[in-house]
Amino acid sequence: MSLRFTKLALGAAMAGLFSGSLLASDLVITFDDLNPDKKAAYEAAVEAFKAANPDINVVANNGDREAHKDTIRNALQNDAPDVITWYPGNRMGPFVDAGLFTDISDLWASDENLSSNFNAIKPTMTRDGKQWGVPYSYYQWGVYYRADIYEKLGLSEPKNWEELLGNCDALKGAGVTPFTIGTQYLWTAAGVFDYLNLRTNGYEVHNDLTAGKIKYTDDRIRATFAKWEEMLDRCSFVSTHATMDWQAAISPFAKGDAAMYVMGNFSVGQYKDAGLTDEQIDFFQFPEITAGVPRAEEAPADAFFIPANAKNVENAKKFLSFIATPQIQGDWNKAIGQLPPNAAAEINADDKFIVEGMATLSTAAGLAQFYDRDAPAAMAKAGMEGFQKFMLDPSALDEILEGLDKVQAEVY
Amino acid sequence: MTTTIANPNQRFETSANRVVGAGIVLAICIFLLVFVVNTAMVQEMLGYTRQITARVPTFFIRMALLLTAVAAGLFMITGHSYYKRNKLAVTPWLFLAVGLAFFMVYVIVPIFQSISYSFTKWNGLYDINGVWTGKWVGLHNYRILLDDPNFWTSLKNNLIWLVLYMLAVPIGLFIALFLNQTVTGIRIYKSLFFFPFVISQVVVGLIFAWAYNPEFGLLSEVWGWFFCEMRENIVGNLTRVCSVDPPSILGDSKKATYGIIAAGLWPQIAYCMILYLTGLNNVSADQIEAGRLDGAKGWKLLWHVVLPQLKPATFIAIVVTVIGALRSFDMIATMTQGGPFGSTNVLAFYMYEQAVGEGVGRYGYGSAIATVLFLIMLVYISYFLWRMYQDEKEGN
Repeated sequence: MSLRFTKLALGAAMAGLFSGSLLASDLVITFDDLNPDKKAAYEAAVEAFKAANPDINVVANNGDREAHKDTIRNALQNDAPDVITWYPGNRMGPFVDAGLFTDISDLWASDENLSSNFNAIKPTMTRDGKQWGVPYSYYQWGVYYRADIYEKLGLSEPKNWEELLGNCDALKGAGVTPFTIGTQYLWTAAGVFDYLNLRTNGYEVHNDLTAGKIKYTDDRIRATFAKWEEMLDRCSFVSTHATMDWQAAISPFAKGDAAMYVMGNFSVGQYKDAGLTDEQIDFFQFPEITAGVPRAEEAPADAFFIPANAKNVENAKKFLSFIATPQIQGDWNKAIGQLPPNAAAEINADDKFIVEGMATLSTAAGLAQFYDRDAPAAMAKAGMEGFQKFMLDPSALDEILEGLDKVQAEVY
Repeated sequence: MTTTIANPNQRFETSANRVVGAGIVLAICIFLLVFVVNTAMVQEMLGYTRQITARVPTFFIRMALLLTAVAAGLFMITGHSYYKRNKLAVTPWLFLAVGLAFFMVYVIVPIFQSISYSFTKWNGLYDINGVWTGKWVGLHNYRILLDDPNFWTSLKNNLIWLVLYMLAVPIGLFIALFLNQTVTGIRIYKSLFFFPFVISQVVVGLIFAWAYNPEFGLLSEVWGWFFCEMRENIVGNLTRVCSVDPPSILGDSKKATYGIIAAGLWPQIAYCMILYLTGLNNVSADQIEAGRLDGAKGWKLLWHVVLPQLKPATFIAIVVTVIGALRSFDMIATMTQGGPFGSTNVLAFYMYEQAVGEGVGRYGYGSAIATVLFLIMLVYISYFLWRMYQDEKEGN
């Protein structure tokens, strides 16, 4: 009796707190980027969705990106939102295999826009012949360089390996460290490795390596490391890279102590924050190493998925369709300075890096997702530690590669 | 009054109404908790249109039911004649019950769970139906472990931590001896020395990581006075050029662990110091005076007269220091995350990294590492329990 009374009293109190429209259905979204521009772009897209669907009550959550990598496991298994961000490629593999994501192949087939404008990225969103998510953004990788220093020394953008090494010699002669990098959190080194491997061996070999079909002690991979050693020798990196994160590594670049940076396009905003102008920085594609190898690029994508435990699947699909539209993809990526995976979306023609990035990616022979997304997480962790170790001590190469073979045999 | 005397056994009898009543309430509460109360029901009952907003009241209702159940349970037990007759023996266990239950659920059971996971290959996921996705692999994880250089590095670092961390005990003792005098303002000095222990380990880690930073750290600034000069670079900015590069302590696999231990020692010394300072308060002045009369001074006085009286403080200082060394996790996490390339890992951090960290998700392998760490700790803890037991026996 009294229990019921308590419940009623509680109910009366709570009803005041949580009043909402009666006929609404829910949509809970979990996003994972608190950087001001990313957050604003996401919120703008959610607002646009709300305006287009006034009958849906949207709860938009947002959290830290690194923490999200841990919490998503719990979120998918217990208290799942209706839409959640995650990475495509092999990184979505464990969740797809455990049946924790919803198969949305029907949406890809039925939605005109999705089936016609996302061909380049579709293989990345596919596993077991089905599609699992919708990408909202991706970006190019390449070499960002100090155009003013290049000009001062009369250098030009290198087209092949020899030209790059030549540029490095000239830079070192002038007292400038050719490359900056910060390997404290390891992944930056993987960017360099990916490009060296893509240029030395091409997309197929790289993909086979990250898929576990080729050993690290394979001669082709050794050839990649030989190029890297040459790079370490002649194009040295800043000496304190192991204690810097990628943002700290911008400091020597901004000061003019280092001239090049192998990075993703998300870094451009930070160069500008560090005081560099559009005239001082420029971009070139990582130069050719083995002549005739088709040019593949790194283009990590971010995507939305529907957890298998989602309670409002129809609303979730509506949201995915919505964020795939050219309008939203264009606006979103203009706001965050990245590229829309939707080929029909508009890009910011005033941003030279975006224009060049679009040209780079649309003509690429293949798109890699970045080492730590192409390879399973356990392999990526060991691999990137190996890359860092190699950069600090190239003589340990054999030991590193044999160690990686062991991990590879274990985790695939 | 007369009734009590007439039947003195009445107070030991079961109060049937109370036990049955409380039993019914308990049963109802458990039934409601397990089968009835859920978000959908609260949503329905309170007229909410949405699951999400119904979660908060659901939580309150569940808590209320749980507390009622516990109260009813206690009421039931205390109404029983067995309890009434054995009050003194049973009551302590009733008070302990909650703590023991939580200890079982959160400590004892997980130990065995984790040992059992160490024989499996599992990525930490259950599928959509809640079915466990791992598979049994027997001793495979342990075989891999023996062949894993990172495991041996971690184990070696654990030992280095244990040995070097012990320095905190003698250093703490000497600072305590030094501070154990009556000078104006000594309390301020004592507080200042104790200060690092008050700061969170994470903050200590960050401060030291900054101090070690070869670009802008304290150490590199000092280094700069001797080996570096400012020069203009190619674009006209002033930049530092060094004839000998400043040491990159956390970036060098050979130095990084020592760098972290040095940072860890700072608060640990303060901790040992405060333990000894309290111990020194209890050192009997008579015995020191007697020692002085017999001609003991300096080291001899310290070794033969003061130290034996500080034995309890030493014991606690060693115990907390060993435990501190074994759970050196947060320092490593803030300063190097186990890097460069895993060279500063200790078993605890390596386990975390392999199982939970960054979605690596080798739960079976992580559990195997945890099991090894557990066995090492078990040896140490058993030894100390045995020592304590022996001391107790001698004490009597």
